[in-house]
Amino acid sequence: MMMRNDSHNRAEEYQTGTDLSDMRQGAVSSVERSANQPSKRAAKDRENVALGRGFAVVLRLIWKRGEGKFALTVMTSWVAISLISLFWTPQSLWKTDGYQVWAKPSATQWLGTDGIGADVFSWLMAGARTDLFIAVASVIFAGILGVLLISIMVSRNSALSNGSVVAVDALISIPTILIALILAVPMGASVMVVVLACGIGYGLNLARVARPEALLAANSDYVGSALSYGASGFSVMLHHILPNVMPTVMVQLSLSAGTAVLAESGLTYLGIGVPSGVPSWGHSLATSVKLIDVYPLSALWPGLIVTIVAVALNIFGDVLRDTTDPSSNPELRRS
Amino acid sequence: MRFIVRRFLLFVAALFVISVVIFAALRILPGDAPSVMAGLNAPPERVAMLRSQMGLDRPLAVQYSSWIDGLLHGDFGISLLTGRPIGSMVAARCSVTFPLIVLGLIVAIAIGLTFGVMAVLTTRPALRSGFHLLGLIGGAIPALWGGLLLILLFGRGTGLLGVLPSQGFPETGWDSFRTAFASLVLPALTVGVISGASLMRYTRSALGDIMHSGYIDQAMACGYTRRAAALKVGLRLTMPQLVSVVGLMFASMITGVMVVENLFALPGIGTGLVTDLGNRDLIAVQSELFMLAAFFLFIGFLVDLLHRFLDPRLRYAVQERA
Repeated sequence: MMMRNDSHNRAEEYQTGTDLSDMRQGAVSSVERSANQPSKRAAKDRENVALGRGFAVVLRLIWKRGEGKFALTVMTSWVAISLISLFWTPQSLWKTDGYQVWAKPSATQWLGTDGIGADVFSWLMAGARTDLFIAVASVIFAGILGVLLISIMVSRNSALSNGSVVAVDALISIPTILIALILAVPMGASVMVVVLACGIGYGLNLARVARPEALLAANSDYVGSALSYGASGFSVMLHHILPNVMPTVMVQLSLSAGTAVLAESGLTYLGIGVPSGVPSWGHSLATSVKLIDVYPLSALWPGLIVTIVAVALNIFGDVLRDTTDPSSNPELRRS
Repeated sequence: MRFIVRRFLLFVAALFVISVVIFAALRILPGDAPSVMAGLNAPPERVAMLRSQMGLDRPLAVQYSSWIDGLLHGDFGISLLTGRPIGSMVAARCSVTFPLIVLGLIVAIAIGLTFGVMAVLTTRPALRSGFHLLGLIGGAIPALWGGLLLILLFGRGTGLLGVLPSQGFPETGWDSFRTAFASLVLPALTVGVISGASLMRYTRSALGDIMHSGYIDQAMACGYTRRAAALKVGLRLTMPQLVSVVGLMFASMITGVMVVENLFALPGIGTGLVTDLGNRDLIAVQSELFMLAAFFLFIGFLVDLLHRFLDPRLRYAVQERA
């Protein structure tokens, strides 16, 4: 009896971290879904329809939840502000005024000015686009690397798959910042250092998290029968294995996006991230940190923004995990 | 046993690959390292001297093998800037960073385990969502900003409460134990709270799963209360998973540690590495990066062994297959 009650409560709670049992359930039911596909062409059509519909359904489901609304709102405003900042900011980024340093918020300077008299609000707006680029680029890079690694990990060449598994297991303990430091030696401080370091680190992580599901799909009967029909390894990977790991990959990537924004602020502060002169939230935070003794509140805004965005991306990942799990969401099941 | 040997060989292989990567990264530097280091108007003799001092005039293979040979004999090279042996420089820095990491880990484990278990055991929905929110926000705070808030709150001089030192580390090091310890409290809290929040999320998720398993039903059928079953049976079962997470947390914590060291002006590994990198003290950077990488690979190796040791199910599964 007790247990029933608990599982009722649990349905309302979002699972964070690695949740193997749920993942397995999800994979099994997607196995069932793709098991009865008659011909390749028809299967593909249906897949596309399902994907298109699935995407809208997922977005609607996320929006239905209170915290999902928060996450989507923050993410949409982030993109919107980044786009606007390309054409317009309240003050020019390069308009500085030596007599107006550390000015208090006013009608023209909404959040005051920084140490060289530049408008804080405008720099934060422009910082949004750099951080957006870093988050998107590192997630894309991590996605490509992760999917490549997963493909190698489940490949039929046992030397290749065993080798990649142990390599990932060993390299996973190297922190992102160390990768960034190694890259920063030849490259200097640049946006690409952040993107590459985050991409490599999160790509390895992705491969490790998604491997169990990929293996489950690779060992399934439908993959066996596809191979026996003469399908190439590549096409099996594309049509049968990848669709199974996609939900996990998407969840993991949206969590990584939040971490990338956090990493940017840390790396930029250490002088190996975004170079000075390029607007970013880490840059705004790092420049105001130097004078906290005198102007303690100036560091408040960039830190607050980074925290809110990171929270939103984490929530998005969590809610996405809940909504894309077909075992908990009847709306996603194809009848 | 076979597992240990195989995992150790892997550790050595990874170490070798990393050493090559670090070595290569320092050799594809744009521009000529010695002339950059010597400065703009340096006479050519000085550049040539630096070059031979760094050993850059020798072939790459010789440079690499002499570096590795030194490492194996505990000779990490001599800093080009200070002329001091890098080994002793790093040792001095470790005496700051290592206690900081350990303190941070203690804080993280205390916060993460306590709150994680409480989040699972509580039956009040308000508390549940409170813990959920805490885990989300705690894990999303940039270390830099978190440290800043703590300084503003507790820091001596600027803070509201002004009780703890927020800058620097005593010159005399651990000889003046009280000051040294006090200067590590705020940094350790910063990294500890942030890592603690993510540990709490893992604990809650892992323990939450176990609570629905047959193990707990069995324990409760034997007369344990739900709380006792969670603490005595549930925690033991989540242990292997949590050890892995704590091990990986080491890796994620070092980012926070480096930032926090710079923020609190602590003369640790992070501060040192950033300074050396800024000064283009390449020999020092090369050895320091390698030592850090070796440390993390070793942690990964240890965590895998511990995991195997703590989870008998894994051991038997392997024996059956072998």
